[in-house]
Amino acid sequence: MLELKNLSVHYGPKRVVSEVDLTLAPGQTLGLAGESGSGKSTVAMSVLRLLPRTARVEGEILLDGDDVRTMSWGRLRAVRWASASIVFQGAMHSLNPVRRVGDQIAEPMRLHGTRGSVTELLEQVELPREKARAYPHELSGGQRQRVMIAMALACGPRLVIADEPTTALDVVVQAQVLAVLKRLVAEQDLGLLMISHDLSVLAETCDDLAVMHRGELVERGRTREVIANPRHPHTAALTAAFPVIGDPAHRWADPAPAPEPLLQVRDLVVDYGRTRAVDGVDLTIGRGEIVALVGQSGSGKTTLARTIMGLRKPSSGRVIFDGAEVARSGKALKAFRRQVQLVLQDPSSALNPRHTVFDAVAEGLRVHGLADDQEAQVTAAVERAELRPASLYLESLPHELSGGQQQRVVIAGALVLRPRLLVADEPVASLDASVRGEIVALLLRLRRELGLASLIITHDLGLAWQIADRVAVMHQGKIVEQGSVEQVLLTPSHDYTRALLRAVPQV
Amino acid sequence: MRLAGRFGGAALSLLMVAVLGFFLFRVVPGDPVVSMTRGRPSTAAMQAELRAQFGLDRPLHEQFWSYFTSLLQGDLGTSFTFRRPVSDVILERLGPTLLLVGTATLIAVLLGLWLGVRAAWRRDSVFDKVTTGVSLTLWAVPTFWLGMLLMMVTGDLFPSRGMRDTDTAPDFVSQALDVGHHLVLPSVTLVAVVCAEYALVMRSSLLEEMHAPYLTTARAKGLRDDLVRRRHAVPNAVLPAITLVFLRFGLVVAGAITTETVFSWPGLGLLFYDALTGPDYFLLQGLLVVTAGAVVVMNLLADLLHGVLDPRVKVV
Repeated sequence: MLELKNLSVHYGPKRVVSEVDLTLAPGQTLGLAGESGSGKSTVAMSVLRLLPRTARVEGEILLDGDDVRTMSWGRLRAVRWASASIVFQGAMHSLNPVRRVGDQIAEPMRLHGTRGSVTELLEQVELPREKARAYPHELSGGQRQRVMIAMALACGPRLVIADEPTTALDVVVQAQVLAVLKRLVAEQDLGLLMISHDLSVLAETCDDLAVMHRGELVERGRTREVIANPRHPHTAALTAAFPVIGDPAHRWADPAPAPEPLLQVRDLVVDYGRTRAVDGVDLTIGRGEIVALVGQSGSGKTTLARTIMGLRKPSSGRVIFDGAEVARSGKALKAFRRQVQLVLQDPSSALNPRHTVFDAVAEGLRVHGLADDQEAQVTAAVERAELRPASLYLESLPHELSGGQQQRVVIAGALVLRPRLLVADEPVASLDASVRGEIVALLLRLRRELGLASLIITHDLGLAWQIADRVAVMHQGKIVEQGSVEQVLLTPSHDYTRALLRAVPQV
Repeated sequence: MRLAGRFGGAALSLLMVAVLGFFLFRVVPGDPVVSMTRGRPSTAAMQAELRAQFGLDRPLHEQFWSYFTSLLQGDLGTSFTFRRPVSDVILERLGPTLLLVGTATLIAVLLGLWLGVRAAWRRDSVFDKVTTGVSLTLWAVPTFWLGMLLMMVTGDLFPSRGMRDTDTAPDFVSQALDVGHHLVLPSVTLVAVVCAEYALVMRSSLLEEMHAPYLTTARAKGLRDDLVRRRHAVPNAVLPAITLVFLRFGLVVAGAITTETVFSWPGLGLLFYDALTGPDYFLLQGLLVVTAGAVVVMNLLADLLHGVLDPRVKVV
């Protein structure tokens, strides 16, 4: 049905896809894995000739025997969506913000003259029919993704290309969306080409798996076999990066004796107007302990972290740090903030694009008036974050660094103040698989060498298994379960924890 | 609630305008009574009488209070120079200004948005380069200079003074044709200036939308290029431009001063110019309240319209 022969794509002198051969038979499901920049999305876009004009495409792209590359515009427009459609990452901006979603679903049907009803399509993706009248911003991320799927099926294509369809969704919603997609692909006997950086998502959905690395196809085979016996080192790195919950080999944290408490949260309540975001939370983090706070988006975990850091005043309850109640204002609060540092999810937006690494790291020192011997302190922090030798990086701007290096700069900016607790909000979620492992290892090494405690906020239970000593599960503002990693993740006692674990895609 | 907030904000702005209008012109140098009696012999007694007549001998706060209370009743006072109620004078001049500004804005909006869309869609084409270049030039040149240049270039083709000739037949058709004839030069001048800004804003707004992922979705669906533009890109890109059009419309009412002066168009702009040479306090106050009020009202309308056009903005 789809056949790529010797496909290469250049942007100017830069080759982003080189000599890729792929075939997809009707009804076959193929996953295309790779990190950012591996060329996997370029391959997907080339199938419907959606690459920008500056792209130079070589080779053959045969869709039902016709070469997409040489089709007339009229023929191409007829093929688009009717023969093959795309599920874009709809959680972002792939829907027109000022038009109703029903209208957008109906648009290709009118265009290609296919019969069908928006209501039926919405029912297929398990959305109520009234949602047709909604605008994209009125829907949740999961609902928008369902709309994207309904839209892709509108003209009855035989091939569906899904480009990172569940990225940016949390684990429970991701499982629901994948279930809908899987069911429809099986029911309608569709061919599916699914692109993702997440092997476990592809393993859930696809029978076959292809792995791309730096524009080349490095491995191709049955999904189970590729994951069980990777032949290419890059595939091995990708599989190793996604921890399997319950597998001792993926448990990197060394067992620590029960430490004395560093931070204690007692009966904490935070209200936003009439909404109770955090509802009576008790949480303790010991000296040098790594605690994972897991839960879906909207569970209140970020609000809890902000309140712990003194960025938000609690409605009631207490936060005790190192035996003393945390001050709510003044110098004492500032001193407390120095000891508790934050690491955010996306380093490229956490760093000011016009500040050099030195400026970014030194800023905390200046704010806290610790500026004497600045250079030595910054160098030490940058080297602690494993950017060695520091002199190579100090004058760099963020855009000259890779994602992993940027995250190290953010961590160095925290370390320079010699904190005792690190609050990390999804520290590896926006990093590539191969880099992710390095950052996790860095956090563990910092704990071992500096006795640095961490509160890791994540919806990724695999990360919790990899790194944490204890896990706290948050749901609707409450901590529904907490305990050691083994206890919570292997023998969960609360229904919600079990639901979260069930939603994790299995490799 | 938020709707009430917007109206409240607009009302507050109008109040500020009223207060400012009064005090601003009290600090302008020049004695109105002196200028009123300029060129005629007048005694101190006559001047005192004039002062009393216009209430200028009373303390400032009393003057303000009587100005403010009559303003609320729609009474803007009496013009020194015209010896008639300010509101009558303004109303009489409002028509010509609205005709000129309305015509110019309508043409400028249609032309500017069209030019902007085409220039952005064919970025870096000859069309784009010419449009952007000409727009920037027109935006930069002084309006009065452009007006005078037009007068010189067109020669006797179009009348360059006033709104109608005195010897035109009184029937409606000839009158309308005559006014239309007179309208050509001032409106072309105004269009040239306003249109340039619309074109540039529309162009940059559309350029921003050009790489939006939902346009890729639309292309993947098999839409023709012009449908992608018309149905998806423009409805999103036009939102900032529409807000601008309304904000500008308020300003253009006052901003037609230079154009109206150059072409002696009997509108508010020319009236403003005449009132300043007085200075005619009450007339200036009245004009300021009316033109600033127009900006505030148009601002409010722009907000409300944005809420109607963009479902993400909830005004009501």
